[in-house]
Amino acid sequence: MPVKLPWLKGVFPALVTPFVKKTEEIDEDAYRLLIRHTLPNVDGLVTSGTTGEFPYLTREEQRRLVVIGVEEAGGKPVIAGCGASSTQEAIALARDAKEAGASAALIVTPYFLHPSDKGVYQHFYDIATTVDLPIILYNIPQVMDRYLPRTVVEDLADLPNIVGLKDSSGDLTYTMELLEYVSDRIDIFIGHDEVVLPALAGGVSGMILASAQVYPDVWQKVFRLVAEGRLEEARALQRSVQKLSRIFCRYGGGVAVKAALKMMGLDMGRPRKPLKGVGGALIHETRAEIRLELEKLGKIPVEEAAFEYPSGLLVERFGDLEITPAGLAAHHMRVGSGVAGEGLNKVQIDLVAGGKETPLGDAYALQLTYPLHGREALTAILEPALTVRPATLLLPTLPQKNLRQANMIYGPTQSALARAIVDALEAGLPSASGGTGGVKGHIPPAAVDGEVMVALATVHPRALDRHALYQSVHAAATQALAQAFSGARGEEPGTREEE
Amino acid sequence: MGYKTEWLKGIFPALITPFTPDDRLDEEAYRELIRFVLPHVNGVVPCGTTGEFSYMTLEERKRAVEVCLDEVSGRVPVVAGTGCQSTRETVALTEWARDAGASGALIVAPYFLKPTFNEVYDHFRAVDQVGLPFILYNIPQCAGTHFKWWTAEGMALDLDNAIGIKDSSGDLPFMDAMFEKVKGKVSIFVGHDEVVQPALAAGADGAILASANLIPDVWQRVYRAVQEGDLETAQYWQQRVQKLVRIVVRCSSTQAVKEGLRMMGLPIGDSRHPIMPGGGFKREDYGELRLQLEMLGKIKKAPVTYDLGGRQVETEVFATPQTPRTISGFTLKVGEGFAGPPFQELAHVDLLMGLKDGPVGRAIERSMAGWGEERGLRIINERPRTLLVPTVTIRTAKQRRLFYEHAAEGVNLGIRLSIEDGFLPEGILDDVALIANVFVHPAASIAKRVEFNNYKATRHAIRKALEGRPTVEELINEKAAARHPFRYAP
Repeated sequence: MPVKLPWLKGVFPALVTPFVKKTEEIDEDAYRLLIRHTLPNVDGLVTSGTTGEFPYLTREEQRRLVVIGVEEAGGKPVIAGCGASSTQEAIALARDAKEAGASAALIVTPYFLHPSDKGVYQHFYDIATTVDLPIILYNIPQVMDRYLPRTVVEDLADLPNIVGLKDSSGDLTYTMELLEYVSDRIDIFIGHDEVVLPALAGGVSGMILASAQVYPDVWQKVFRLVAEGRLEEARALQRSVQKLSRIFCRYGGGVAVKAALKMMGLDMGRPRKPLKGVGGALIHETRAEIRLELEKLGKIPVEEAAFEYPSGLLVERFGDLEITPAGLAAHHMRVGSGVAGEGLNKVQIDLVAGGKETPLGDAYALQLTYPLHGREALTAILEPALTVRPATLLLPTLPQKNLRQANMIYGPTQSALARAIVDALEAGLPSASGGTGGVKGHIPPAAVDGEVMVALATVHPRALDRHALYQSVHAAATQALAQAFSGARGEEPGTREEE
Repeated sequence: MGYKTEWLKGIFPALITPFTPDDRLDEEAYRELIRFVLPHVNGVVPCGTTGEFSYMTLEERKRAVEVCLDEVSGRVPVVAGTGCQSTRETVALTEWARDAGASGALIVAPYFLKPTFNEVYDHFRAVDQVGLPFILYNIPQCAGTHFKWWTAEGMALDLDNAIGIKDSSGDLPFMDAMFEKVKGKVSIFVGHDEVVQPALAAGADGAILASANLIPDVWQRVYRAVQEGDLETAQYWQQRVQKLVRIVVRCSSTQAVKEGLRMMGLPIGDSRHPIMPGGGFKREDYGELRLQLEMLGKIKKAPVTYDLGGRQVETEVFATPQTPRTISGFTLKVGEGFAGPPFQELAHVDLLMGLKDGPVGRAIERSMAGWGEERGLRIINERPRTLLVPTVTIRTAKQRRLFYEHAAEGVNLGIRLSIEDGFLPEGILDDVALIANVFVHPAASIAKRVEFNNYKATRHAIRKALEGRPTVEELINEKAAARHPFRYAP
């Protein structure tokens, strides 16, 4: 009967490997900084795992990472990633790791060429019987394109040097199957950040996670709370990091982790090529999302934004469009305003509609040449290739300083405005009101081709709940449209004050 | 032991089933479609996958087959789709088709619940007892079950009334295994429009195709060319229609075929829900399918009058029933173009078209006299005068190259081809101006793709601006289901 290792439990970060810009050499100082940042909240370290870009590291580099890890770990165990495509190379890496002082080796299922189940067994058997170092098997089908077969694990678990298995699949049916068959002999670790809590509750011994270098404190608490049976609190914590964990698992992996660490002041450089720092697996939009989530977690300070919702006479709010109260009146334009939502989700929409021949037609065309830097207008669309009619521009009243703000305008604000317009359009059709003509307060058919609209949108710069924002914009835009289209066209707009 | 019939060869369209606006079988339109394809085909298949059999009641399926049999009246064989999920229903419907006079039945692998292969075999064995010749139908994309070669072989060799196999998987190694095992014993039909020519060249007896509703004549050419050993001609035509059939096969074939037929002037309604316009067959695919049909001569030019206020310009454009015969309102027209994939290289063009002495012309002159240079605006064409505006601030040399060289070249190509095809007639080039507000993603890499996507987006945006698309009706139909990709958090 194999003996379990007493230290093999708890929280282990799968460390990124920092590189110097341009040369792509390992940045040892940054690596030490990173380890010191995580150390208080972890039970050990994992070097050159998948998050550590092991396939891009030389054998010597991997050995060096273990050396540094052991130097910095203050006696905590260091698990060395020793993954390789060939058995021969995996053995060499494991030997290096042992000499460098590693406590165990983490070894992935052999990849690229796909060996049979027999080949997979022989791979681990050869390593375990050649090198005297505890081995943790590693299932990560997302990159290896295959599962480590449970039946193979079942047999490998009998070998004295096989002490654990890390399952990064996120497939809890597989994790449960392993717990059923081998948890009496080896320790199962969860390697998928999105399902840590259910896996712990299901009986795994610990976690090896990319995100355990970003919020090791959260995972340490989750680990202890589950051990104490305090599931309610553990659930709340897991949920607080769910989105970030999802981003790390699905939308960028180690690249996204490096982006997060950089925002927290730990510059780990870029990944090695062909991976891009941003714009590849990690897209710009997602990187902006990481910042939002780190703010929520309190990992980085929130930028306070001073701003105001437009107030005063509604007819005086369209100066940016060079539309004056007198112009509104002279050209029989329609205006309306609406406010909805609370706190970060409060939205104000000030809307103007008018004939294409009026100065509003000029303003519409001019806005698409971007005269207001940082406040670029965009077309109201339900989705790409579904532009609303009458043609409508969305013009943010606050400068869009970063993608985080832009993410709230593109998408949620844009499509909610569009939806409110099409709703108002449908209500204005004869068919929608029993065939007798338009409904008061809604867009008449004649406006579809004859008019354009511009909606000034004031969205809180720190808004982050897209669903709530969509609802607020839709409600505010609906109010604004109702007001704009309620009076007879040509009614003196100056007489209509907001609220 | 199955057998090979003399009649089961050549091109068979998998007929779409037209529905009326109130969602009933549109028998008149169905007859018109059958008359349209009949001169070019060796047989027809009513109520196949493209015929939306899975959305029809048994009574409707029977009626569709009856109408088809009546309209065809013996001129070509009629192979009725009679596959159902359960053996019991499949046998009953196949018995009905036998009595109604169908030449044969096309029977899909039982789907949704995934029977094992011996269960599938016994399903077909029960069908075999009906006595109507039948074709085994492999379409893993929908049925979820991909025949193994030994299952297909067993059925073809064991069952007395098996006369063929239709393989829609597009999996040529599977098809080659069929040739190895059962060639000459039953007919082997290809059902994947993208690999028709290679399958025929390798020995397939014929094809049952969704796109044979649209281009039966082309497929007949390909079939005959292969029979005559003229592979060069067969390859030429396959390649010529490759994009069209890729759109059909990959983009919700039934709706794509229906919209294509409608563009060609046949009175065909939409697919039944949950298939819907702007769904699998996306809005951006619409323009591409249309261009392909134009290129093949399936959509004809028609005279259109542009009313520029004081003056009228006559032109000829490839017109669909949606194209207005008089176009006015040149003060300001808005068209949106969108083309992808891939994500990083997708193109999004907000296009404004309008008179030079109107809002568009004035905005161009004012911006160029003011902030134009600082913000990276550029005039890229004089006829019509065209202003290129970057949606995203250009920061790097790579972005600059992709935007001002490749995206700009794409926009200009879209304009040039719109001039050639009549949508931008010579008579308006000195009167109208364009503003193209163009999005190139900061992470874009593939230069030619940026160019192609911007060409497509621009060409379609010009047409949408002129034709007033999307229409209010389209907006209202799709407003609830519309899904803006950036509306959701990751």
